[in-house]
Amino acid sequence: MLAVDGVDLELLPGEIHALVGENGAGKSTLAAIAYGAIRPDEGGIDASGTVGLVHQHFKLIERLRVWENVLLNREPRRGWRIDVAAARARVRALSERYGLAVDPDAPVETLPIGIKQRVELLRELDREPSVLLLDEPTAALAPSEIASFFETVTELARRGTAILVVTHKLAEVIAYSQRVTVMRHGRVVARSVTAETSAGAIARAMVGGELPALAARVDVAPRPLLEARGVSARSGTSVLREASFAVRAGEIVGVAGIEGNGQTALADVIAGIVPFEGELRFGDAALGAGDAPAARLARGIRVIPQDRRREALVLDWSVRDNVALGRQRTLPLAKFDPAAREVIERFDVRPPNPDAIAGMLSGGNQQKIVVGRMLADAPGLIVAYQPTRGIDIGAAALVQSRLIEARNAGAGVLLISFELDEIFACADRVLVISGGRFVGAFERANVDRGTIGALMAGHAA
Amino acid sequence: MTALLRTRAGRDVAVVLVAVFGVGSLAMLLARVSPVVGFGALFDGAFGTPEEIAETLVQTTNLLFPALGIAIAFRAGLFNIGAEGQLMLGGFAAGWLGAQFPLPGYLAIPMVLLGGAVAGGAWGAIPGFLRAKLGANEVISTLMLNFVATLLTTYLVTGPLAQTGGGSQETGTLPKAAQIPDMLADSRLTYAFVLALALAAVLWWVLKRTVFGYELRAAGEAPEAARRAGIDLGRTAFVAMTLSGAIAGLGGATIVAGVLHRFNTGLSPGYGFIAIAVALVGNLDPLWIVLAALGFGMLQSGGVAMQAEAGVPREVVSLVTGLVIIALAGRRAIVSRRTA
Repeated sequence: MLAVDGVDLELLPGEIHALVGENGAGKSTLAAIAYGAIRPDEGGIDASGTVGLVHQHFKLIERLRVWENVLLNREPRRGWRIDVAAARARVRALSERYGLAVDPDAPVETLPIGIKQRVELLRELDREPSVLLLDEPTAALAPSEIASFFETVTELARRGTAILVVTHKLAEVIAYSQRVTVMRHGRVVARSVTAETSAGAIARAMVGGELPALAARVDVAPRPLLEARGVSARSGTSVLREASFAVRAGEIVGVAGIEGNGQTALADVIAGIVPFEGELRFGDAALGAGDAPAARLARGIRVIPQDRRREALVLDWSVRDNVALGRQRTLPLAKFDPAAREVIERFDVRPPNPDAIAGMLSGGNQQKIVVGRMLADAPGLIVAYQPTRGIDIGAAALVQSRLIEARNAGAGVLLISFELDEIFACADRVLVISGGRFVGAFERANVDRGTIGALMAGHAA
Repeated sequence: MTALLRTRAGRDVAVVLVAVFGVGSLAMLLARVSPVVGFGALFDGAFGTPEEIAETLVQTTNLLFPALGIAIAFRAGLFNIGAEGQLMLGGFAAGWLGAQFPLPGYLAIPMVLLGGAVAGGAWGAIPGFLRAKLGANEVISTLMLNFVATLLTTYLVTGPLAQTGGGSQETGTLPKAAQIPDMLADSRLTYAFVLALALAAVLWWVLKRTVFGYELRAAGEAPEAARRAGIDLGRTAFVAMTLSGAIAGLGGATIVAGVLHRFNTGLSPGYGFIAIAVALVGNLDPLWIVLAALGFGMLQSGGVAMQAEAGVPREVVSLVTGLVIIALAGRRAIVSRRTA
């Protein structure tokens, strides 16, 4: 199959060009071809000067220092040794020149994500590229970091670099790009001057039609379901500090926050993956601090994990066997097939084949299987951790609609998301998490994005 | 993780054939023997007469039990390379119990086999427990326990549990009632062969059609997803290692009760190690493992004839077996590094 099919794209010195499209539209493939990492079957790339690429997933060596990463393979040498003093000076000069403050000697593993991004950018800038490709550069950044990142990028463009930003965040496209190219199914479907188009028009071009509407919500009499009082926990590097919150049956509570602020610990506490201190009540009884996941499953708690490929699926298994996962003790073998067909039907899984191997499906269809099985036996509480990460708009709308329907049917939903759009589209109430603490609680109807965004970044409201 | 040990069966067959025939031929040429003559002697020695076929099936049986045990552990994501020790312990328990307690046939054989399975299971349970409770790497612990098993059984059979005098490294002879009946006169082939085939079928069914098998496979293929689906990884590791050891121990008991009629510290020419190759070539699937065991059984029994008839050292068989392990495990290690 062709990931990119006969695409023409022209970048001009001094412009920021946005390349948008859904997951799997071919954006990243195109960027990799431009960089030279993938050889095209047909056609070619003309570039005057060098091309730099900043990856969506940082390609930094965590154990090395900043200067070692920035100058990797281009270290200044003195004889057969690395000239460390010259290397430091070069990185310092580079960082001053572009206004990207970093400490050359800091080990990369100690740096926050925003700074790692700067290191990644400096590494490319050291080669003085005439073309710079940025693949989803703001995925892990806070709103304030995004603004300062684009200030830097705009400055680079002003100095004559041609910049291609691959993204799915339309607000950034509108705010910072001069031209925009939209891809769908490996082809270019729209080209515009940004000033002459709108986010709505770009989104329609991305999906090839009107955006799917979400399920309508009905009023449900809320009753208490999950209550946390002073819950603290740690899961790997993720820390939750004295969290107190409640989720009622019949509501979706959104947890807004930037990645890495305790969300993983929150999800894992409820899933029974890590022990906790404090008090957690579900229905009429407390949840045991040392419960295994099986105990939580038995209470009707379902946690949709963040990393579906690793934490929710057996990739080499069929859709049928994956739909049964978590219910293997209660679902007789003979019911595996009907259960799988039900999920396939309700969630429009493609291909609609219970024998299909889960690992071969697209991300969206994989997620449909995971969400489908979690919602299958009318759970009381659903924790959805980044349930639409990296899936196409159609699949995302379907997943969100099913969550809303579960809420309408009386389930409580805790929606942990890094995307404010998702929280505002789905939640009844919004909690803000920052530094492992809950720093704000609002009715969605009574709050605006600016307030939430400021709290997410750690600023008092 | 387990998936990496079970991919692309077709290419595995090619790897095995290259290792066996390509490298085997090379080794024979180094011994100044034509590969045609060498392999001819090998096949003839394995299948030439009914007695030779029977001996091939004896070797198949002796490899099949530990290979099935290894497959159970590997499918659970546990690299049990301690089948040799588990087999030794099982063999010793069977020999000692059989010689110590003369019982009627309908009790003696079950006692001997059960005793072997329990002893092997206990030997497998140790690394299982260490893994479940302390997270100890089972590769190291099972490997080490092989040495402990050899020394322990040698100590027991010559020391506190000696049944024959003079520091002999054997137990007493099993009474007729405790011996597994022969399938074919004038051969060492017993009904243990049928038991091994039945066990392969049962294990296939357990893996494929039971909740236990489902959870075991999930734990092996995707431990993080399995844990979140309510599967107790520690408990699964313990049970899988115990079962794995029990199957290998049962194999040791059948060698004692069927072939040797006593325990001897030289019981196994490395069945527990060769069985790793058998399990891998059999794609960790009990039914394919039967075929793989037949192939390696042929190498084992034909190797003797090859040395006698063609003057090719028997070690060529060990060389080929080792190459198969390295080729299969190594190629998978490369695949796993690429996909990591």
